[in-house]
Amino acid sequence: MFNFKKNPRHRLSLENREGLRLSDLRPGDKGRILEIGGSEQFRLRLIEMGLTRDTEVCVDKYAPLRDPMELIIKGYHLSIRGVDAQKISVELIN
Amino acid sequence: MNFNVALAGNPNCGKTTIFNHLTGARQHVGNWPGVTVERKSGHYSFGDHKFNTVDLPGTYSLTAFSAEETIVRKYLVEDRPEVVVNIVDASNLERNLFLTTQLIELGRPLVIVLNMMDMAEEKGLEIDVDTLATLLGAPVVPVIGRTGEGIDLLKEKILRVVTEQSQKSRPIKISYPRDIEAELEKISMLLEEESDDDHMRRWTSVKLLESDKQTRDEIRKRNQGQGILAQANASVERLELLFKDTGRAIVSHARYGFIQGAIRECVKENLKLSTDYSRQIDRLITNRWLGLPIFGFLMWLMFKITYDLGSIPMDWIDAGVVLLMNTVSNILPQSMFASLLVDGVIGGVGAIAVFLPNIFILFFIIAMLEDSGYMARVAFIMDRIMHNIGLHGKAFIPMIMGFGCNVPAIMGTRILESRRDRILTVLINPFMSCSARLPVYVLVGGAFFPENAATVIFSMYVLGIVVAIVSGKLFSRTILKGMSKPFVLELPPYQRPTLRSLTLHTWERGYLFIQRMGTVILVGSILIWVLGYFPQSVELSRDYDSERDQLVNTYSGKILDLNARYDASIDHARSEYHSKLVEFEASAAFLDLETQYNDLMSKFSFAQENDLLVLRQQEISEITEHRWIGKVGKLFEPIVAPLGFTWRESVALITGFIAKEIVVSTYGVLFGVGENVDEGNDGVISSLRTSGMTPVVALGFMVFTLLYTPCLATVAAIKRETGTWVYTIFSIGYSLSLAYLLAFSIKYFGGMFNWLT
Ligand SMILES: Nc1nc2c(ncn2[C@@H]2O[C@H](COP(=O)(O)OP(=O)(O)OP(=O)(O)O)[C@@H](O)[C@H]2O)c(=O)[nH]1
Repeated sequence: MFNFKKNPRHRLSLENREGLRLSDLRPGDKGRILEIGGSEQFRLRLIEMGLTRDTEVCVDKYAPLRDPMELIIKGYHLSIRGVDAQKISVELIN
Repeated sequence: MNFNVALAGNPNCGKTTIFNHLTGARQHVGNWPGVTVERKSGHYSFGDHKFNTVDLPGTYSLTAFSAEETIVRKYLVEDRPEVVVNIVDASNLERNLFLTTQLIELGRPLVIVLNMMDMAEEKGLEIDVDTLATLLGAPVVPVIGRTGEGIDLLKEKILRVVTEQSQKSRPIKISYPRDIEAELEKISMLLEEESDDDHMRRWTSVKLLESDKQTRDEIRKRNQGQGILAQANASVERLELLFKDTGRAIVSHARYGFIQGAIRECVKENLKLSTDYSRQIDRLITNRWLGLPIFGFLMWLMFKITYDLGSIPMDWIDAGVVLLMNTVSNILPQSMFASLLVDGVIGGVGAIAVFLPNIFILFFIIAMLEDSGYMARVAFIMDRIMHNIGLHGKAFIPMIMGFGCNVPAIMGTRILESRRDRILTVLINPFMSCSARLPVYVLVGGAFFPENAATVIFSMYVLGIVVAIVSGKLFSRTILKGMSKPFVLELPPYQRPTLRSLTLHTWERGYLFIQRMGTVILVGSILIWVLGYFPQSVELSRDYDSERDQLVNTYSGKILDLNARYDASIDHARSEYHSKLVEFEASAAFLDLETQYNDLMSKFSFAQENDLLVLRQQEISEITEHRWIGKVGKLFEPIVAPLGFTWRESVALITGFIAKEIVVSTYGVLFGVGENVDEGNDGVISSLRTSGMTPVVALGFMVFTLLYTPCLATVAAIKRETGTWVYTIFSIGYSLSLAYLLAFSIKYFGGMFNWLT
């Protein structure tokens, strides 16, 4: 699902920023949320949890089986699945 | 006076802790009507007033997407409590205040509790409480739930809010960006013609911008409804065009905007260089390589402690039940009532009571996992796997506990937040082969597959898991479709659990088991007793009493004969020794004679005992056949005949409904080997072998035992946890049909290909 480590070209895609997804980030990366896609209910749930536009989000780590991922946002830890993280476009702000 | 106080807050903000501090032991746990969301209520007295307190379910918001949110909103709007106490996790202020903004708009008098001040301090957060109170327009009380610090002040604030007008929270407006405010104003103007107060109008306007279904439905019924809705639609459209987003998202964003403003004003973040211990621990516990092994080890440990440690008091309870049964049957004269009390009530309930230690220990461990923060990590680690069945990661724990006993496992589904996940997990849990089914496998497997018993038994466990997974997938795509919520899981910091909270959690859940199970199990046990007790007089094909007399007579005759022969031999020998008694008694011949005599004597008495026992068991077997239970067995015989089962299997399976291990003892009775057989009993094994059952049928029987209707206690647990008979009956029906189908397939295909012969 996320071949962020195995794919050497991955970093390149980070450079052009276009279409960068939260699921593309590696542990330790920081990003700024641009847009959340998906169903209305899903979007609202995430917004309620604090994933609002322009919020900084840090990828803390991935679960041992590579899914879900752990984020740090607004000072607390939140876990979401890779499929859902794919619906969130971000920009890298390292 | 009596006042109603409602506690609201995010999940895990310490609501229950505060609730316990407020009400002490004066509380009552029940369910919210129609749903199995726990409803905790209690009361306390302060300053001559009584405060009835309700602990609302933890929610992140009031958008009413989930059962919990609907409950909170409905309660606050319809029951209109005098005070809403909003518990806020001070160490996670920004996210927690989101709910607060909604509560403020709802307009009920509010007291805000800044809980977890200790954690906030540790994080280096400095909160200006007075400014926050001004900004939010409500009293703010800092509290440490762990120690109870600040609770008295909280009680005082609550009192003052209800008694002193001046202390009524001056309702502030959550201010929105200008464009939104303009639209709110337009809607509000139209509402003015209605009787709403200021606050209510704003709440309604905001809800209309959010296209809230409930509010729209309510407005539609009003006189001016159509006009208001038209304006609302126009406003939403305008804003959506402007912000390129949906109305709800715009409002939610704006709420966070307000919160960020407030936080900027009253929170100072001192970047302390202290290490974040929680994060360090997590590095290890959810480590890529160590995470799963650690989890596996902890699961093993939990399992081990629950069942090993639990088996000690389990034996005591078992012994106690037996003692009680014996005492009561000694005191009471033999009568129907005595039998009902001893065999029905004490025996039946006792069979379930032995699970109490397991259940309490398990709940204690689960409370420990929850309070320490590890449970959230379990969900994190296992989600990838459980996701395949359409379940949340946390559902793994009840699943694995099912291998021990489905009852605590099903009660353990309470750790899941969504009702849909709980129901799904409850429904597939009985397929995890519990320990009570093992004796059946060992008995039948040992009888028919002596070479491969272990493989056959193991495959039962695997089959159970496969059925659980397939059923899970099936259910989540059919009957429980579309109810799934996105996976968003908060990972709270690790904490050392307090003993107070652990015992409270354990007791709460354990008590429910005692209370609710007691009734269902009692009724079920009595029912089975009735079936086994009536009709009292049965017509037997043989006259067992005279056969018994005959048997005794035969043996007495044999013994008399033996004695006579012995005397004769002695006389004969004595004459050979010419009355030299001393020499005679020392002779080898005499010793020989003695031994022979003693041998025969004990052989006879042993044989007599045994024959009497066999006779007695044949009698019991025949009596059982004629009792209602046997009749029911016979009644079902044609139904189970295609599976190759006889009325015996049918009776065994019916009684196995009380507890599955009873299948074994029922077989003992039916084959006339006695009730006290264990799975290794040679008598039952040889009887089974000669009963005409084939290995194929035996395999089918094991599969049937694995899958069919879970035991009475489990059914009670399913009813309790799903809260409705619909799922309970569905579960029974589904598992029965599945068991039948698979057992039939085994018989059919097994017969076709001549497997196992
Ligand atoms: N450090 C610290 N921990 C606290 C405090 N108050 C509560 N806790 C802990 O926070 C955890 C959650 O507390 P609960 O009272 O169960 O939280 P809740 O809000 O009822 O949670 P839900 O039942 O999920 O809604 C427990 O482990 C408490 O011991 C506090 O003031 N400081």
